[in-house]
Amino acid sequence: MFRLPTLSWLALRNLGREMRRSALTAAAMAVGLALLILSRTIADGAHEDWIDAGVRLGAGHVTFNAPGYRDSESLDDRMSPAQVEASLAALAEAETPEPPLASVRVATRGLASSPDGAQPAFIIGVDAATETMFSKLNEDLADGRYLQDGDRLHAYLGEALAERLGLRTGSRMVLTAQAASGDIEGQLVRVAGTYRTGVEELDRMLIHIPLGTARTWLGVEGATAVAGLLPHSSFTDPVIEGVEAAASEAGVEVAGWPETQPDLYSALKLDDGGDWAFHIILFAIVALAILNAIFISVLHRKRELGLLRALGLSGRETGLVVYIEGILLTVASGIVGVALGFAVVFLFLRDGLDFSGLMPEDISFGGVTVDPVLVPVIEVKHVVQSVLMTFAIGLSAALYPAWHAARLDPAETVKVD
Amino acid sequence: MREKPTAGRAANAVGATTPNGGAGSTPGGAGGPAVRTEGLWKIYPQEPRPVEAVRGVDLEVAAGEFVAMAGPSGSGKTTVLNLLGGLTRPSKGKVWIGGREISELPDRELAKVRLSRIGFVFQSYNLLPVLTAAENAEFTMLLQGVPARERRERVRRLFAEVGLEGLENRMPPKLSGGQQQRVAVARAVLAEPALVLADEPTANLDSSTAEALLDVMEKLNREKGTTFVFSTHDPRVMERAGRLIRLVDGRVEE
Repeated sequence: MFRLPTLSWLALRNLGREMRRSALTAAAMAVGLALLILSRTIADGAHEDWIDAGVRLGAGHVTFNAPGYRDSESLDDRMSPAQVEASLAALAEAETPEPPLASVRVATRGLASSPDGAQPAFIIGVDAATETMFSKLNEDLADGRYLQDGDRLHAYLGEALAERLGLRTGSRMVLTAQAASGDIEGQLVRVAGTYRTGVEELDRMLIHIPLGTARTWLGVEGATAVAGLLPHSSFTDPVIEGVEAAASEAGVEVAGWPETQPDLYSALKLDDGGDWAFHIILFAIVALAILNAIFISVLHRKRELGLLRALGLSGRETGLVVYIEGILLTVASGIVGVALGFAVVFLFLRDGLDFSGLMPEDISFGGVTVDPVLVPVIEVKHVVQSVLMTFAIGLSAALYPAWHAARLDPAETVKVD
Repeated sequence: MREKPTAGRAANAVGATTPNGGAGSTPGGAGGPAVRTEGLWKIYPQEPRPVEAVRGVDLEVAAGEFVAMAGPSGSGKTTVLNLLGGLTRPSKGKVWIGGREISELPDRELAKVRLSRIGFVFQSYNLLPVLTAAENAEFTMLLQGVPARERRERVRRLFAEVGLEGLENRMPPKLSGGQQQRVAVARAVLAEPALVLADEPTANLDSSTAEALLDVMEKLNREKGTTFVFSTHDPRVMERAGRLIRLVDGRVEE
């Protein structure tokens, strides 16, 4: 293998001679990689946004429930006060850069009634102060105000539900649901305010009431769920792993958002699949461009390659010279592509890319509102995947020209003019 | 008066020969022929009829000879040189280089034989365009693993001998045809091969440049004992050869 440095030196000289062609070939790969990085970081940013929106309005990144609750959604499968305390303690011990935010909730399905009629509703008893940081539903205020500490007989509901029931801020309505005792119990509440998330299902179903009111009305001392909000979705699995033992000891189950929000998880997987399909098509085109450029350069240099054979290189070594050219081009493109990709990503890191002109308002996907401003997020794993993909494509594209060079007939090629 | 190159060093070098042994043997023993062939054929499969480019050539060139292979276009000169150099494989027959039978060697082994025992000079100044004159000249030595200092010293000395002094760092396009061909000759001999094969090395040169190149080749043959086999159809070049092999229709003409 002592000839490898010589072959590499020759390959480098060959690239240097055809600087313009080499630069164009490398540019195709570098731009492809930069686009891939931008596209991946935007997709990662969008996905994290969707997960964030989904888990805030849903059950958090991690959720503690009593066994059986996720299937039955019945108050019979509620958590005791001790289990709630144990869950909060376990969550507080989770190893995350910032402490998780915990929300104790009592949820039930029931009816919301007014003089204009009745509508099915999903009613959650929440701690108002916590919820302004957790679900941030207060930020989607359409009218009135969100719940406050000290509220007792107040409700915060979707604008669509309020319209269906003919309610306005200050109106009264009755919530009816099956209590823990098994009896159907009613609760009179006053509309504190309405919200508009853009997700139709939420806007016509979800009602927030004070946690104490829900407990009293439904006869529940503990909770139906303790939801945990983590600094980033990537902490979900490690946190579950970390709290599982304590949860099990307390007799509660813990689940991550993919389990509690399967629709959102499926939507993200579907979007990921679409992204990869796009990337594969993009890189198939780039690979063909590279293959074409290297192959044309081999055809132009038949005589030189034949000469190398005559001077004592084997067919394999001659092919290796061409392959090393491909490797050098790929490495150079990788470096330039990563630099270019990060430069473009950094341009949009602060303000993101605004697609609001291209999207209708209040578009939702997978049960969450899609923000038209996409802020890229750098996920090292995905950037490494993009770089590896570029390398795989570049190195594969150089294989055929190298093989062709290795098989050239030296006697025929040295006489080419 | 120019000294006649090594004519007659190998008496009866042209014509039928009988190998002393099989593949890998050393016909003639130590100090035997630089190259020898036996029943060499090259047939190109073509429609409607296969082309017989070389038809049963038997030849032997002794070490240190300066041999010209002459014949009209299409007589098979280039094909014979390619067969001798292992650039193409014979359809039938055998080739010995320095006693080693090469016609059935695998590609890697054949490449080693070319690297260690054969130097090539082609008609169309085949220099690597990405290397300087000196880098081209030392390229074979580089592949052989000759240390850099020794390579540079050999190039310096030979360039001085063949009139290329001062042109070491020129790229091939900046050299004249004659200069490029001298660099090619330098590359061929610097690695000290047993045999230099030159395919019409003067064909693209004017007569004075061709004469000068032949002077260089003769000098290297005379002083270093390098064996040269070159093809030509130029009568003036034939005159300079120590021995002449005539090829007609792929056969050696008696």
